[in-house]
Amino acid sequence: MIRNTRKPGRYQRGGTQVRKKRVCRFCENDTTYIDYKNEKRLQRFVSEQGRVIPKRITGTCSKHQRMLIQAIKRARHLALLPFVSEAVR
Amino acid sequence: MKGLTKRYETVYIVNASLDDAQIDAIIEKTKEFIVKQGGEIQEVEKWGRKRLSFPIQKKNNGFYVVTYFSAPGDFVTKLTRYYHLEEQIIRHLTILLDKKALLALEQKAKEKEASGEAQGESSAESTSGA
Repeated sequence: MIRNTRKPGRYQRGGTQVRKKRVCRFCENDTTYIDYKNEKRLQRFVSEQGRVIPKRITGTCSKHQRMLIQAIKRARHLALLPFVSEAVR
Repeated sequence: MKGLTKRYETVYIVNASLDDAQIDAIIEKTKEFIVKQGGEIQEVEKWGRKRLSFPIQKKNNGFYVVTYFSAPGDFVTKLTRYYHLEEQIIRHLTILLDKKALLALEQKAKEKEASGEAQGESSAESTSGA
């Protein structure tokens, strides 16, 4: 069984191995509130096209993902983050 | 009876093609409006001109202003109405600050203070050195 020899916590995508992040970045420093005004921090959780990156890829926990989404939506309303990036438009 | 006052945070974007004096006038007007309607301003923060991620009303730049204030609940609708009437304000957002947000805000203020002190010390050193 070749499949079972794969190391846990890693998955293959397009032939390259990607290490999966397990710890939520916000849990690491006990974040209780995600500020929508800090767009640089939010940018990390948004794809190049401007879409929210799913938590299964970023490793964010459900609680913080919910807070993050609210922050992203607020930032979008204030044109701090794009709804759709210019390249796609 | 007057309603309970709660803490709010409001961000608005002023048309950046105006002169600085005109923008200041709008900021003053907004401050006045908040105080007049029974609000109490804690802090007004100017971010200045920033590029918008997407055009709003055919404008690519905006002047961001953040205001922290406390006011009774029915004030927010009045503020929204004011924003709509003010033509030079192209976007606005008012949010209620809950316990967690207030805590984060306090923490941020503390950090700012600490860094400000550190900066003050370093500048003092540089002046003494010179």
